[in-house]
Amino acid sequence: MTDAIDPHALSEEDFHAEVHSFQFWLEAVEGYLAGTEFGFDAGQTDETFTLPELSDLITTLCNYCVAEKTALEASSGMIRFAPSPDAAIFLSTQVADEGRHLEVFVHRLKMLGIEDPWQEIDNRANRSLLQFKDRLLEFVDQQDWEAAIFVQNVLLEAMEFTVFKAHASSADPITSAILAGVVKDERRHMGFGENDLGRKLRQAPHTRTRLNQINKELNPLVLSTFSEIAKELKLNTHQGLSISSNYLATIDRLGFST
Amino acid sequence: MNDPLIDAESLVKKRKKYELTETGFNEVPRKYRKFYRRWRGTGDQLADNEVLCPVCLVVIRSARELRPGDRVYCMPCMSRLTVVEKNGMLIATVVY
Repeated sequence: MTDAIDPHALSEEDFHAEVHSFQFWLEAVEGYLAGTEFGFDAGQTDETFTLPELSDLITTLCNYCVAEKTALEASSGMIRFAPSPDAAIFLSTQVADEGRHLEVFVHRLKMLGIEDPWQEIDNRANRSLLQFKDRLLEFVDQQDWEAAIFVQNVLLEAMEFTVFKAHASSADPITSAILAGVVKDERRHMGFGENDLGRKLRQAPHTRTRLNQINKELNPLVLSTFSEIAKELKLNTHQGLSISSNYLATIDRLGFST
Repeated sequence: MNDPLIDAESLVKKRKKYELTETGFNEVPRKYRKFYRRWRGTGDQLADNEVLCPVCLVVIRSARELRPGDRVYCMPCMSRLTVVEKNGMLIATVVY
């Protein structure tokens, strides 16, 4: 039996070193992924879908793949210009998470009868999400840490966290189990982004103006993506507003207007 | 004659201690698990040693009663938080 350690007694320095470490990630994911195959219990049986339900689920999963591939490409590119070794190590764990997410969603598409998932993803990709991806990868190519961490780990991750959480509560059992595991990973990615950027904004308040412009440019794309996904998930107005309000709360905590 | 310092100290109510046990929360290494639990949604109530993380919506638990000004950490989302009182309730705010 492992002896418990009170995390609240750690110094701030020790806390950051601990949670950004590869060892922390390894022991954390072991807790909820051990015993699963492609993100769910292999003994689970699938439910029967009507054709419209199946088509909506496939479209939603295709767009999750677009988002995850975006995050995989961006987070791996950001390691090269990470501002500290701790941030680079943390991003290496995020790369592993994003690769896993992409794999489990593609596997789910195959389970649902999609023979060529990559072609299907291209066919069904949401235009707003693709524009968002292009803009994020431009920031990564420019090695612009503040913009890249804001767009990826705050905007994209907060969007994924809220959508996946809402979808997990209403999805079929296998999709729900896959999403529940992904949400646990997203907590780390989103928290890393908000905290890293929050510290940067405290030290260099002038960066806020530039990030606010980026926020205003990309927010319509995020909200349009939310709206499309809400339709596919058959969310009512209240549920749709609830998921976008969770996302907006994150932006608000960092002091950005929408 | 009374010592004013001792009197002032005795006015500060002693904090309650809590014996924490694991609740099935599995998103952090085992050694930290009993310090967190899942938020069970509407109807769930926070104890005197608990606050909700505003970033990731996990319940953070302490081995002692929490009071305004306390620092707690949310390991699942890597946030440092301060406990504050708002409308008679204890809530956590992020400190960047």
